[in-house]
Amino acid sequence: MSGLASFFGLGLLGNALATFQNAADITSDNIANVNTPGASRQVVDITEMSPVSGSPFADANISGGTFGNGSIIESVQRIHDNSYDQLFRGASASQNYYTVEQNQLNALQASLGEPNNGISSYYSAFQTAVGQLVDQVGTNSTSARANVLSSAQALTQALNAASNTINQQQSQVMQQASSAVSTVNGILDQIASLNGQIRASTAVGDNPNTFMDQRDNLIDQLSQYISTQTSVQPDGSTLVTVNGQALVNDTVAYHLAPPVVGVASNGAPSFKIDFASNPPAAANAPGIPLGSGQLAAFADLYNNKLTVYGQQLDNFASSMANEVNRITQAGYDQNGVAGTALFQPIVSSLPISAGNIKVGITDPSQLPVALASTAAGTLVTSMNSANNTVDTSAAINGYGALANPPGAGGTSGTLSVTVDGVTQNFNYNTNTTDTSIDAFISDFNNQHFGVTASFNASGQNIVFTRDPVNTDLVHRAAEGSNPPTSDFTITDTPATGAGILSALGASGINGVNQNSTNAFGANDNSGANALMQMFSSNVGVPALQTSVAGPIAAGSQTVALPAGVNNVSVGDVLTVDATPGGGAPQENVVVSAVSFNPVTGQESFTANFANAHPGPVSITSAQTQTLGQYYGNTVSQIGTDAQTAISGSASQTNLTQNIDNVRQGIDGINIDEETQNLIKFQTAYQATAQSMNVLSSMLSTVITSLGAGH
Amino acid sequence: MRIATSTIYEAQTAAIDNLVVQQQLYGQELSSGKQLNEPSDNPTLIAQDLEVRASIAGENQESSNIQNASAQLTTVDGALSTLTDIMQSAHSIAVQAGSGFTNSTQQAALASQVDTLLNEAISVANTKYGGEYVFAGTSGGSTAPVTANGQPVSSVTFNGNSSGQTEQLFGGESVQTSVTMQQAFNYNAPDGSPDIFQTLITLRNTIQNGTVISESANGVNSVNTSLTPATPINTPGVLSTALTPDGAGNTSIVITSPQTGSNGVTVTIPAGSTMPAVLAAINAVTAQTGVTASFDYKSQRLSLTSNGAFQVGDTATTPPGGAAGNFVEAFGLQSQADLTTTVSTQLGDIDNATQAMLSTRAAIGGSLQTLSALGTAANSQVVNDTQVQSGIEDADIAKVISQFSQTQTALQAAYGTTTRLESKTLFDYLQ
Repeated sequence: MSGLASFFGLGLLGNALATFQNAADITSDNIANVNTPGASRQVVDITEMSPVSGSPFADANISGGTFGNGSIIESVQRIHDNSYDQLFRGASASQNYYTVEQNQLNALQASLGEPNNGISSYYSAFQTAVGQLVDQVGTNSTSARANVLSSAQALTQALNAASNTINQQQSQVMQQASSAVSTVNGILDQIASLNGQIRASTAVGDNPNTFMDQRDNLIDQLSQYISTQTSVQPDGSTLVTVNGQALVNDTVAYHLAPPVVGVASNGAPSFKIDFASNPPAAANAPGIPLGSGQLAAFADLYNNKLTVYGQQLDNFASSMANEVNRITQAGYDQNGVAGTALFQPIVSSLPISAGNIKVGITDPSQLPVALASTAAGTLVTSMNSANNTVDTSAAINGYGALANPPGAGGTSGTLSVTVDGVTQNFNYNTNTTDTSIDAFISDFNNQHFGVTASFNASGQNIVFTRDPVNTDLVHRAAEGSNPPTSDFTITDTPATGAGILSALGASGINGVNQNSTNAFGANDNSGANALMQMFSSNVGVPALQTSVAGPIAAGSQTVALPAGVNNVSVGDVLTVDATPGGGAPQENVVVSAVSFNPVTGQESFTANFANAHPGPVSITSAQTQTLGQYYGNTVSQIGTDAQTAISGSASQTNLTQNIDNVRQGIDGINIDEETQNLIKFQTAYQATAQSMNVLSSMLSTVITSLGAGH
Repeated sequence: MRIATSTIYEAQTAAIDNLVVQQQLYGQELSSGKQLNEPSDNPTLIAQDLEVRASIAGENQESSNIQNASAQLTTVDGALSTLTDIMQSAHSIAVQAGSGFTNSTQQAALASQVDTLLNEAISVANTKYGGEYVFAGTSGGSTAPVTANGQPVSSVTFNGNSSGQTEQLFGGESVQTSVTMQQAFNYNAPDGSPDIFQTLITLRNTIQNGTVISESANGVNSVNTSLTPATPINTPGVLSTALTPDGAGNTSIVITSPQTGSNGVTVTIPAGSTMPAVLAAINAVTAQTGVTASFDYKSQRLSLTSNGAFQVGDTATTPPGGAAGNFVEAFGLQSQADLTTTVSTQLGDIDNATQAMLSTRAAIGGSLQTLSALGTAANSQVVNDTQVQSGIEDADIAKVISQFSQTQTALQAAYGTTTRLESKTLFDYLQ
């Protein structure tokens, strides 16, 4: 017995009672923290007390062995596996990233209202209204004209609203990011303060389990906002870094500055977050690489989602305005007044964009729908002779069915076609290229002058019609910033013979401006027909028709655009050096980079050119898709982004939860387990107390039997 | 493996959350009947969906435009059908008047009938559809395209233009929706033949006034040539029937009328004369013959006009006894110019104008058929597109109901599990 060693064993049992009492306390603490985020379970490390050796009362009969002195809590261990923290934080950052994106993009989708009530339905209604105008009765009907104006207005309002939504979402993103930055800064402060406490406790040999739990939980929280790396220092503090830059070093927290909209290298506004500094970081300095988490989601939403969607809506609006205005400006209104632009900017000093577009025509009779046509005038006469009928495929030199055929030697010369403020020359020769009327018509129309020739069989006459649809990129580039014109002039300068216009019975129009006085029918619907065609034609998006001095060598080249032309984006397809007929050196290039010089206000793009281009070089958007398709692709992209965010959020939430489950499996608190521990310690405590009772009884026996009373 | 207590609850919460979200999604699909409610539901098909929606709207619009264009062309065809009746009446009146069995009273009555037909023709020319004049070209405006001058009508003025109207349909087709004055009334015909109004005016005047005309039945030029004021009429190949001149190269004709006596007046046309010289030669003797000559360079027809009957004859070429000349034949004139022959020439004009109009009507018929085919195509395209749209947008209700039930079952099971998990821990057994 060792009773003598510790006052009849009472000391030993006292140690044990204290041990079990403490163990039960730790267990209770675990139970109390079963729902505390970040709490790791603690286990008591119970060991035997050092044996009592060399006691003078030791029983001499006992040889070997030692008397134990009960049990003691060696340490209170925090069960925690740091390796799962890093996994969890990565997943949590990703989860938060996708969840923020999901929330914002879902809200955006809902406000765009596709496919039921969005811009597409207004665009479709605009098309339907134009369809009604095409009808001859509709052309002259005030209600059909008014309907075109009101549907165009509804479309512009939908565009304005969508642009507004995107702007609002951008400012929401800024606000949310600001508040997230405040939260992050608060967390950094707390981590720094805990670092101090942990370092102090560790220095004196304590296990600062609770502080470590709190700190790790704060780093968990931090990972919701930003991707961080951590490393535990020998002094027990944790170094928290982002992309190698310290966020918390020992007890110093490096705060983030509120988000700002800086300038990206391509001149676009760019959301970024810098470290707080005085003076603040420059606007064009790159911000902190945020990795994942909410802050990265805000940056991505601002820079790669909302700004891009906004840009695409702007492109849609400006390109639509460009195409529609080309037609309305080429027409005459019902009163013979030269047409104006249907779509105009709200703020006239700024270019048309989704947020800056309105309908510029209010009076239905001013909607320009009529196009100039020589058929409406009297200057062109039948070209046939007497009772002959012209065979348009017959050789025209000396062709007797014509009243004025070119002689056997033919006729050659130049037709100068002036339209849209551009004069372009068409060289004809009835001996070579324009041997028949059909050949002339096809040759002439292939030049895409904005004027179309046709043969009217019943009147046996040639018809020249202003045709804004029949303009190619060469014409557009030559036109540059000249607005389209409603009138046109064709001047014949024969080199040999009497000229082609004379042969075609059209000498009356030679050099005569064709306009509302001599080529106008108020009921003409050709402009509406052209608009109908616009809906199904491939157009260039964004609206870009310009030219640079050049030359441009072959290979990867960077080309500076004229000042003010700044709507080129990476991935845009541009047609360079548009050539009649589209042959080389005309080519389509894909923009691989865009940069912006804030000093000159000039945008430059980089692309790989297959051909060398002697200057001047025209640059126009390639006509690759219809406006409807372009918008559909934008919606599709928003849908894809939203879907990625939704599925990313779901899968990352699952992943985070799974990792947390595993982590909790190691360091989480289980009530059943703690209850068992409690019972275990309670039982031990009871047994120890009982033992004490027995010892007490034994002691009592000794005292009573051998005591002073006897 | 150990499981933390909080994990049990969190896992249950997450499971229930997921199931509720799923159930809500299925519920939305069931209540809207759509599986495509927003772009993210199917980003790959949303662009196609928008295109199909635009197509359906466009095709419905096309369909209504086609109906409208058909109605308009039907109105035009109705007008031309009335005009056909008018021309047939004019034809029978002309036949009656030219029969030679009518007295002056009857002729006056017939002339008055032709005048009525003329006025009817003018009112047909001013037919409206939907408030618009159908034969005015693109000129628009509220002025009637054809206004009559004089009483009785001596000429008409056309205020429209000859620009045809086409309609661009949604599907890219372009259809003709109007008929020009020229096509319907042979107005300002490229071959120079008289229009319907002029034909009726001339017929009325002929019957009423007994104006007699000997006119070339057709253009006198041969194919691919024409007589200009500068062309000598004996230029080889110009006339479809070459002149047979006398030995000196001259041609001559004899005009006989009541004024000239039975021998008539001989007009000699020197070799190499141009048309102005021919006209001058004939008109030089108008005082004796009562006959006036004119030539229409557009239609290449020679007209000899008088207020009474006359004859035109060829004379024997010199030297006497040679073959007869052929001026009358070469210029397609009737040698006996009286009411009957005049009217018979005009019958040719009536038939020519009627023919032109009938071929226009045939073209309208063709256009109507085309429109009808396009309308059918547009309608069936709407049906097809609607099916495509339904395939993209509509939920498979049976499948969604089954998924909804599955989710509901799983959700109930999750609720049950959660309540059971929550009911007992070891604590409950702690004494």
